[in-house]
Amino acid sequence: MDRAISRVFIVGVVLMVALMVNVVWIQVIHAGSLRRAPQNHRVIAQQLRVKRGLIQGFDGSTIASDAKRSGFYYRTYPQGPLAPQIVGYDSARYGQSGIEASLNGYLSGSAAGTQGLIDRLLGRHTPGANVRLTIVPAVQKVAQSALGSQIGAIVALDPTTGAIIAAASTPSYDPARIDLSFPALIKNPDAPLLSRVTQGLYPPGSSFKVVTATAALNLGKVTPTTPFNDTGVYDIYGGKVTNYHGEIFGAHDFTKALTDSINTTFAKVGTLIGQAALIDQMRHYGFYQRPPLELPLGMVYPSGRYAGAKLLSTSASMNPLDVAWAAVGQESVLATPLQMALVAAGVADAGQVMKPYLVQRVTSSRGAVLSQASPSLWTTATSPATAQTLNVMMQQVVNAGTGTAAALTGIQVAGKTGTAQRGASNVAWFIAFAPANDPKVAVAVTIENTLFTGGDVAAPLAAQVIKAALAQPGLP
Amino acid sequence: MSRRNAEAWLLALVGVAATIAYVSVYAARFHEISRDSIVTGLIFAVLFLVIHLTERRYLPQADPYLVPLAALLSSIGLTEIYRIAPALALKQGEWLAIGVALFVATVLVVRDDRRLETYRYLIGAVGLVLLALTFVVGTNVNGARLWIRVAGFSIQPSEFAKLAVVVFLAGYLNQNKEMLSVPTSRLLGLHVPPLKYFGPLLVMWVLSLLMLVVMKDFGMSLLFLTTFIAMTYMATARIAYVVTGAALFVVGAGGAQMVSHVHERFAIWLDPWKTASGSGYQLLQSLFAMADGGVIGAGFGRGYLLYANHAPTVPDLQTDFIFSAVANELGLAGAIGLIVLYLLFAWRGFHIALHASDGFSKLLAAGLSTVFGLQSFIIIGGVTRLIPLTGITLPFVSYGGSSLTANLVLVALLLMVSHRSMVVEAGSVTERLRLAELV
Repeated sequence: MDRAISRVFIVGVVLMVALMVNVVWIQVIHAGSLRRAPQNHRVIAQQLRVKRGLIQGFDGSTIASDAKRSGFYYRTYPQGPLAPQIVGYDSARYGQSGIEASLNGYLSGSAAGTQGLIDRLLGRHTPGANVRLTIVPAVQKVAQSALGSQIGAIVALDPTTGAIIAAASTPSYDPARIDLSFPALIKNPDAPLLSRVTQGLYPPGSSFKVVTATAALNLGKVTPTTPFNDTGVYDIYGGKVTNYHGEIFGAHDFTKALTDSINTTFAKVGTLIGQAALIDQMRHYGFYQRPPLELPLGMVYPSGRYAGAKLLSTSASMNPLDVAWAAVGQESVLATPLQMALVAAGVADAGQVMKPYLVQRVTSSRGAVLSQASPSLWTTATSPATAQTLNVMMQQVVNAGTGTAAALTGIQVAGKTGTAQRGASNVAWFIAFAPANDPKVAVAVTIENTLFTGGDVAAPLAAQVIKAALAQPGLP
Repeated sequence: MSRRNAEAWLLALVGVAATIAYVSVYAARFHEISRDSIVTGLIFAVLFLVIHLTERRYLPQADPYLVPLAALLSSIGLTEIYRIAPALALKQGEWLAIGVALFVATVLVVRDDRRLETYRYLIGAVGLVLLALTFVVGTNVNGARLWIRVAGFSIQPSEFAKLAVVVFLAGYLNQNKEMLSVPTSRLLGLHVPPLKYFGPLLVMWVLSLLMLVVMKDFGMSLLFLTTFIAMTYMATARIAYVVTGAALFVVGAGGAQMVSHVHERFAIWLDPWKTASGSGYQLLQSLFAMADGGVIGAGFGRGYLLYANHAPTVPDLQTDFIFSAVANELGLAGAIGLIVLYLLFAWRGFHIALHASDGFSKLLAAGLSTVFGLQSFIIIGGVTRLIPLTGITLPFVSYGGSSLTANLVLVALLLMVSHRSMVVEAGSVTERLRLAELV
């Protein structure tokens, strides 16, 4: 009997040891992947117990802050939804987006430096770090109300620094109600959650002519006074390029080709410079690269030639007709509003495209500066001389061309309209900067699904945003 | 040092540990819990003092480790329950008081374990009646019929029935172990013991399966059946019982797979991720909570176990899943520590069995230790996904009155066996005489 009893005990020991091995597996070996499992919401839920840092506008006003309700913190938005696609939502159920996601480490207080040593030793949770954006609420509000119920995007940035001072996208949503509205938002065909400024890929249409003109001027193929003759149609490679609404302009110079947005002339210029020079110029403006914004990777798309949802390589072959249409911003060229604003900014800042950014400063809850923006060059688009030539030509667009609706009294605006056809309707564009002799702001306005032109519907909105921006006491 | 003085020192150590645990919880959560609950701590100390004094008076030679182990386990349980649901800690404290009363009553009434041998059939019948009662007047909770309500108390009769069944089996197997060891007849070409002796054991097997199918109490069914097999093996030393028992179990389990309740348990065990937001949710939350604990955990009262509305992050955290709570707050160290405590308890139990004076006492102590150790293994293995999850309590730690009181009676029985063997071996003349008078 004793031997059998001992054996049963030994079996018991083996079983208990198996339990211990299993616990080691769960709590040590396999612990990391259990913590990271998408079904595991404990990490987010724990973060809800820590006061999240503020997201502030450039003026120091609060865009998003935490309030407490029955032990949990939740986000409030004292100024209403302000750039919600950029700021992002913060939901225990649906995760995070925008700055809330990309700067979560700082905001939640889990990033290095956000907590003091004493706090860490005591296991005390201090509030997360505060993030100050470059978004200027006053300008942002003008951009949002300018768009109103139209579908589209407006982005404004400081061409001398690259700081984004407004980024509006419509339709929009209320991040305070995200837990309730998320299921409907992701089903909405107009995609309110989409950050159209950085994710909206549109045919740039004639606004792209600035890029074509830059390449042609750089190569010396044209000057502002080079004469052209328009017969209403340009035949090439068995196809033809025509003007908007079938207009015929007759004899004109290159400046007039830009101010009146003559397609046939830009198609000819495209043929003159060729595929390689055109694509190369695009690259120098930042096309084919993801603008290095402080947003989650998937929230910022590169511009360039696309086949379906795929960005084509810079060497993807084009026939002469493709090149001609690409030169007028059609064919398979797609650009985000941000990229086209960067084109305007490059011209404005003597050919230099500054690295765009959204975060001005990150400060810990104890006031220590954890991160501070420092403007830097992103890419050189062209020489100062060519930039100056384009600047003057773009002023003509606003003074006597298709962009007169963007004119402001006392402020010289330089710009370029665009009206790209997409399906049965237009994508209306206006890219601009001002004041032309000392640019402080560059903007891009994109209106989807319109029957009007960029000069009709986009240029007036650009004027409103430029006026609001230039009225600010200080820009980033 | 006498055995009782050793026990007193160990109990004092447990008191210090329990105080530290209480202070830790209080410091971490003082804004949510009331200071009144310190009373619970004092009651706790007094109750174990009562047990200790009862032993000094009636069982002076009993094992000195079992009661401190039980005290340590209950203080861990009480602290964790207090941390999860302060109101329940007070109720658990009340149950502890009832358990101690039952402990004292058991010692006073039974006095010597061998007196139980005489009443083995009566006790076995009481066990059966308890289970039958659950079936007839029981209430369904979570799809299983485990509880009966008596005078406002929810009682889980199977916790007491398990003791009755062990007592019965110890008596029955001790009486018939020779007959059961010798195969005399043949059935289907196999040598089997006479059906006359084997019959009651078959009844046990049928009973286990009935519990599984009718009451849907998978955990208790597994516990009963395994204890039954283990005790038969210990009595007869015939491995054939284990093989046959295991085979019967597999057949039974295979059949039970047809019961949807059991089938679901197996499906969750095999792949909880498939039903992560449905039936697999609870088990996954348990694993997540343990993974969060890491190596040392955040400390008592400092883990993430409750939502803002005070609902536990793992359903049934204070009962079946209390191991996950301890593993979360005390980390791997606490989890291993807890398993070691159960191992130590089982070791003392088997030690008592090996030194017991007679066959009945041996089988009783070994059976009780088996049932105790197995119950710990089944529930810890269940919440850690080593084996399919079956809802039973973690002895002394889980919230639940029946389990706590039944396990205190279990300790009383083990102590009686221990005391008896020490007296028989090396007791004074008076002690021997006193014992002899009892039987």
